[in-house]
Amino acid sequence: MSTAEQTRSIVTATDLERTYYLGEPVHALDGVSLSLPVGSYTAVMGPSGSGKSTLMNMLGCLDTPDKGTVRINGESVTEMSNGERATLRGTEIGFVFQTFNLMPRLTAAENVTLPMVFNKDVDADRRERAETLLGRVGLGNRLDHQPSELSGGQRQRVAIARALVNEPTLVLADEPTGNLDTETGDEIMSLFQELNNEGRTILMVTHERHIAEHADRIVHLVDGQIEEIERV
Amino acid sequence: MKLTESIRISWRAITGHKLRSTLTTLGVIIGIGAVIVFMVLGGGFEANLLGDIEDDEEPVMTVQTQTDPEGGFGVQFVDSPVYTQSDVEALEEIDNVDYVAPDGSLSAVQLEHRDQQLTGGSGFTGAFGVEATTADVFGDDLWEMTDGKPFEAENEAVINEGLADVIDGIGVGEEITVRLEDGREETFTVSGVVDDDVGQPLAPTVYVPIEPHYTTTVQTPAGTEERAYSSIEIRADDVEQLNEVQNAVEEYFETESDAQQLKEDEHEIVVQTVEDVVDQVTDIIDQFALFLGGIAAISLVVGSIGIANIMFVSVTERTREIGIMKAVGAKRRDIMQLFLVESLLLGIIGAVFGVLVGLGFGFLAVTVAGWPMAYPVDWIVIAVAVGILVGVLSGLYPAWRGAKVDPIEALRHE
Repeated sequence: MSTAEQTRSIVTATDLERTYYLGEPVHALDGVSLSLPVGSYTAVMGPSGSGKSTLMNMLGCLDTPDKGTVRINGESVTEMSNGERATLRGTEIGFVFQTFNLMPRLTAAENVTLPMVFNKDVDADRRERAETLLGRVGLGNRLDHQPSELSGGQRQRVAIARALVNEPTLVLADEPTGNLDTETGDEIMSLFQELNNEGRTILMVTHERHIAEHADRIVHLVDGQIEEIERV
Repeated sequence: MKLTESIRISWRAITGHKLRSTLTTLGVIIGIGAVIVFMVLGGGFEANLLGDIEDDEEPVMTVQTQTDPEGGFGVQFVDSPVYTQSDVEALEEIDNVDYVAPDGSLSAVQLEHRDQQLTGGSGFTGAFGVEATTADVFGDDLWEMTDGKPFEAENEAVINEGLADVIDGIGVGEEITVRLEDGREETFTVSGVVDDDVGQPLAPTVYVPIEPHYTTTVQTPAGTEERAYSSIEIRADDVEQLNEVQNAVEEYFETESDAQQLKEDEHEIVVQTVEDVVDQVTDIIDQFALFLGGIAAISLVVGSIGIANIMFVSVTERTREIGIMKAVGAKRRDIMQLFLVESLLLGIIGAVFGVLVGLGFGFLAVTVAGWPMAYPVDWIVIAVAVGILVGVLSGLYPAWRGAKVDPIEALRHE
């Protein structure tokens, strides 16, 4: 990795290690280093138990490594307090989950602006923001629908709009098409493609080759180690 | 996270489970409602008893003998002739005393008016009583003459409204015949009707002049035989001197009075102004209402356990939502706040509806009893405060449990 590329990297993970003790020690991450340049589109692939989720949780500031550091915009996440990491998640990370994870009793618009509720610096007009973002993902006419009134694909679009609401540094997607049929999944993938084309940095965890191929590069993870970084 | 924001989200959670929230708050509603009902009943009963008596309008005090009732609330008056004529005369010598009106019971067995008869006894035990006193007591506003005038001649009598209510056709100018226990039979002309209700409603009573009808005597400590009365009414010249006179009267009875030596050891001489009587009655009713309210308050504990229970369920049920909120930037404090606000809302709703239900049932009860409605404002304030307290206390631990949920675990939670 060139020095130039490193300075442009907004997320860098260095020598991440994480061991779970389930009877015998399991090395979920065993010395993983990865850096995400601005505007990059990275896919992480690997079989179950390869450490994909652990890696994503650490890059998403939900978890901290036993060893190694994660830096986001130059700041070391590993040294932060619980509350500071929560704030960082709200402002710098946008999550998109396999199971959508929308709040069931909130409307689409309210779900989209939920991160703003916990970010006291944001005082923008939420309704307007929700309208813009839901319009962006093609749900401009579904603002006041509850998740139960939306299809799977629509829910995932709401989740993507929510991930973008605070203009995050990094969008993290965990199997975003895993619960969708192929056609809907393709629509979601092209939405991610558009977001990347707009300059957003995306990291996507998947175990499906054809999904991973949408990215610029594919990180192959096996037994907690990077086996190969494949350029697409 | 702003408070208004958490109220909005918590409200959504509460209304999302209407039946559950209703049942949860029902515990608090019943608890607070029951407390309020008892306080309304107490207040209504008090207002009914005391009516429109002004605490300080009359500079009048009564001297009575009382004892602690065996195993019970309140006080019990003793009807025994211990206040001698010497005592009465000594009291008249106290500065600023307007009059001293002794009162003694006559043991009457029967009262006749035309062809109507009442069977009597002394004091409060019979259907009527005959009290010997002086005309002075009818002179002030405390005992209001509703008809006629005080007795002037020895064969005149004043009856109270209690008696006028039970005997048809009785009134000023009518004749009544009273047969006393000692065999005397006296006929009186009713000169007036008095409203003698000051606090306790009194039994039907005939007031007759002491002279010549009252004949009860005792042997004084000095060795002479004197008339003795069972109570005395004393009036000061005006309200300003009331306390001073009351102190002097009390001092007299503690030191040199005959009554002090004649009364039984366990009896106590009390000198009470109208204000004292009102205070005493209020005190007894308040104690009783508080006692019942205290029992009702136990159900509040049950109510708060209900809220705590449902909050635990709520936290467990919404583990995934906690995970989502944490993933999008919620801090522990935010989650804590969210659940605390929810239990707080449940508590406040319970308190508000509890107060309304309590006032409603209280109103119903006092209406049935024929008492005036009372609004126990201080208890309403206390009830709402308790509701808030119950909400916070019962939500604290569940909220803390929710706040420390691990977001990764929570997001995996089905």
